[in-house]
Amino acid sequence: MKLPLLTGLCAGLLVACSGHRANVADNVRIRWDADPETLDPLRQPTKASSEAENLLHLSLLQVDYAKSSYSPGLADSLPRIRLVGDSLTLLTYRLRKAATWDNGQPVLATDVAFTLKLMQAPGLPNESIRTQYNFIRELRADPNDARRFTLVCQGQASDFAHTSGDFFILPEAALDARGTLRRYRLADLIGRSASAAPDTVLAALARRYAAAAPGRRPERLPGCGPYRLVSWEKDHHLRFQRKPQWWADSLKPLPAVLQARPSQIDFLIIPNEASAVLALRRGDVDLYPDVPAREFNRLRQSDKARQTLAFYTTLSHNVVTAGFNTRRPALADRRTRQALALLFDVPSLLAATQQGLGQRTVGIISPNTRCNYADSLPPLAFAPGRAVALLQQAGWRQKAATPTARWTRQGPSGTVQQLALQVRYRAEETAFETIGLQFRAAAAQLGIAVELRPTEASSLKATLQQGDFDLYIKAVQGNPYIFNFTSILHSQGVGEANLTGFGTPASDRLVEAVALAYSPTVRSRLLRKLQVLMREEMPMVPLFFENNRIVANRRLRNLCPSSMRPGYAAAAITWGPQATLQ
Amino acid sequence: MASLVFLLSRWAPLSDENLGLANATELGNGALANAQARDLARQAARQRLGVAEPLFYFSRRAPMPGGDPVPWQWNGRRNQYHRWLGALLRGDWGTSFRDGQPVRVRLGAALACTLPLTGAAAALALGLALALALALARRPWWRRPALVLLAGLQALPLFVLATGLLLALANPDALDWLPTYAQAAEGEGFFALVPYLVLPLACLVLSALPELALQLTAALAQELGAGYATTARAKGLATKQVLQRHALRNALVPLLPLVADLLPALVAGAVVVEIVFSLPGMGHLLADAATTRDYPVLVGGVLLVGAARLFSLVLADAGARWLDARVA
Repeated sequence: MKLPLLTGLCAGLLVACSGHRANVADNVRIRWDADPETLDPLRQPTKASSEAENLLHLSLLQVDYAKSSYSPGLADSLPRIRLVGDSLTLLTYRLRKAATWDNGQPVLATDVAFTLKLMQAPGLPNESIRTQYNFIRELRADPNDARRFTLVCQGQASDFAHTSGDFFILPEAALDARGTLRRYRLADLIGRSASAAPDTVLAALARRYAAAAPGRRPERLPGCGPYRLVSWEKDHHLRFQRKPQWWADSLKPLPAVLQARPSQIDFLIIPNEASAVLALRRGDVDLYPDVPAREFNRLRQSDKARQTLAFYTTLSHNVVTAGFNTRRPALADRRTRQALALLFDVPSLLAATQQGLGQRTVGIISPNTRCNYADSLPPLAFAPGRAVALLQQAGWRQKAATPTARWTRQGPSGTVQQLALQVRYRAEETAFETIGLQFRAAAAQLGIAVELRPTEASSLKATLQQGDFDLYIKAVQGNPYIFNFTSILHSQGVGEANLTGFGTPASDRLVEAVALAYSPTVRSRLLRKLQVLMREEMPMVPLFFENNRIVANRRLRNLCPSSMRPGYAAAAITWGPQATLQ
Repeated sequence: MASLVFLLSRWAPLSDENLGLANATELGNGALANAQARDLARQAARQRLGVAEPLFYFSRRAPMPGGDPVPWQWNGRRNQYHRWLGALLRGDWGTSFRDGQPVRVRLGAALACTLPLTGAAAALALGLALALALALARRPWWRRPALVLLAGLQALPLFVLATGLLLALANPDALDWLPTYAQAAEGEGFFALVPYLVLPLACLVLSALPELALQLTAALAQELGAGYATTARAKGLATKQVLQRHALRNALVPLLPLVADLLPALVAGAVVVEIVFSLPGMGHLLADAATTRDYPVLVGGVLLVGAARLFSLVLADAGARWLDARVA
């Protein structure tokens, strides 16, 4: 009697469990691997927080994933640029007439001015954004048009046209209804010393901001974006719902960057990759970005998976590079660096780490941006024989005649230099480890000792900044529209973001010229020159660009697969008819 | 212990990423902020996170040209440890570096997910172990294969077990019976989540069961060989009655330390199971806090697990006294 009852209960439970949670209406469910941590508009510490905040808030300019460029968002057009002398840039914007906050009040230049001041006010979690936007020194409002204003930027750089419009505009009325911040000049807030006397107005603002806690309760600082957060369970899921009345609905034609089609977007946090793939296969998830290359190929080769899933790849702007510590005497000369660069077997590494998904590169510019890519340079070859010749030209000699004998040379002050390398990369990053192992094996054939030092992610950057490495392996993120490399390639960045320590007067001049070039033709010429110079000096070895890999339900339309993060436009997605499943 | 964890965790300075500053080493991050602006930003972030002050009551002086006769300096009460201890005594566990939420709130939310799951798993594992051990002690024909199976299960790493269950029972290419991700729809209550908890629960029960069952089976076998059990059998009691009325109580005493170990594990959660089954529990929270150097959450978690450990030891002692009067 007991056995049939137990069997019946188990069968009932299985029937109840096995029902797939089919999607309803035009909702979209997207997999994330980690919680966004905060939705504070002044901070975007993770990729997920940046994606989520783009649903809640709008910037003057928004990323157009279809075109891989910036398009007007809250602004009605791209800014009008005027250079003043050789040290100021004036950027004139006008806000869209239709743009309003949720309470129907218009978005005005005063809100932009308030946001800029909030980004520089003390006591707020704005430390990161503060340094990014401190080139905007003043907002000059147009006395005749409350929506028109000019941003006065210190310095001149071609990327100002984009970066000056890439921050979320926040409502002054929500945090500073009495306009207490209006009495402060933006430049004064930027230049305010940490030891300045406490200011009651600024302290009160910081208290109000902390009490509002917009990082956890974004509804207290509502943006003028198309969605609102309706639920957030930490480390589990976030749900965004489309506002029933959103100001951009009245725009005709509706710009691509202001499309908001799904009525609900769920982000499901599934840290484990195997679980995420199963959730996608079962229909619990509709879109899975950043699929590991191995899983991507496995799914693509499965007949059953292909019936319900669609596969998208685009070349990202993430370039995997190896960087030399040029401050080390053994690596200070370019011949040695050129020789060592010949020990990377890039085609094999692409196959081993990316399953062939990705693209070799000659420089740090993506091969996708054809006008800027130095296609005259040949891809770097795997040539240990040539490496030996270059090492000998650099003055290195092997201690014995055997191929695996150690290499030494006389230093400038009579010291003996040893060619032995310590390679650092983020621990648990298998792709970097594979690259390190391949390099070590090739180096061992020549008698060069290589020690792999995987380093914890949270301390890697500090270790590299301190120069405690000979070679690093890391993926560097880029984008298709900002070509200002002063932070990573200029000698002024040594000890900070310029990890290789490289910088010559010629390279500095070229990096500065690239940053200043407004004309696409001039910029293209300079960028090609920069890539040639980098190949010649070889402070870093760009190995390959990674692919964005997305797997989605076959019925999803308008994903706008893009080379830019996150690789798709969540708000533009629609569902195709059921029949397309056949 | 918590003081030690606090001091050790804050010994190393926080990196720019830990301070929430942008990663300037990316391409196209634009112009380099000047050194003064960068230092100001770091200083402001340290002040906001409460790590700008000296760590302890005394610290080593920065090396001075010409040397210093006294290399140590007294910092007084204006130090991180003093503030942390004072706040802790007032019931303030601090706020997370990463999201600014109070640590108590974060731990509370994670416990609300972990405790029902691990509690149910522990209760089930205990009940099953008891039933299994009582059955095995009667030496049925399936005793040997069952013991081999239990030993095999005990040797299996939890990650392999969890992934194996997932791939076997929630896989469209195998048996597509169970869901992989727990999400209740709008208006659905806790019971809607029950089907989603079957796999993690099964995983936890299967990982805890072997040790409990094997230990109890061995203890019961030993007790059955004791003089009092022989006497009971000689008086005509069936083996089942000897086991349940006499041997079980004594066999439970060596099991108590194992059960006591379960309580801190209940609080700490099962990291692997929570990651594999996407559950926002304590294990997941503490693992994340460790990798992202979210020290306030990490120290709060250590305090909580430590308290649970102490409580479990007290409970184990009380249980041992209740089961065996000879235990002082």
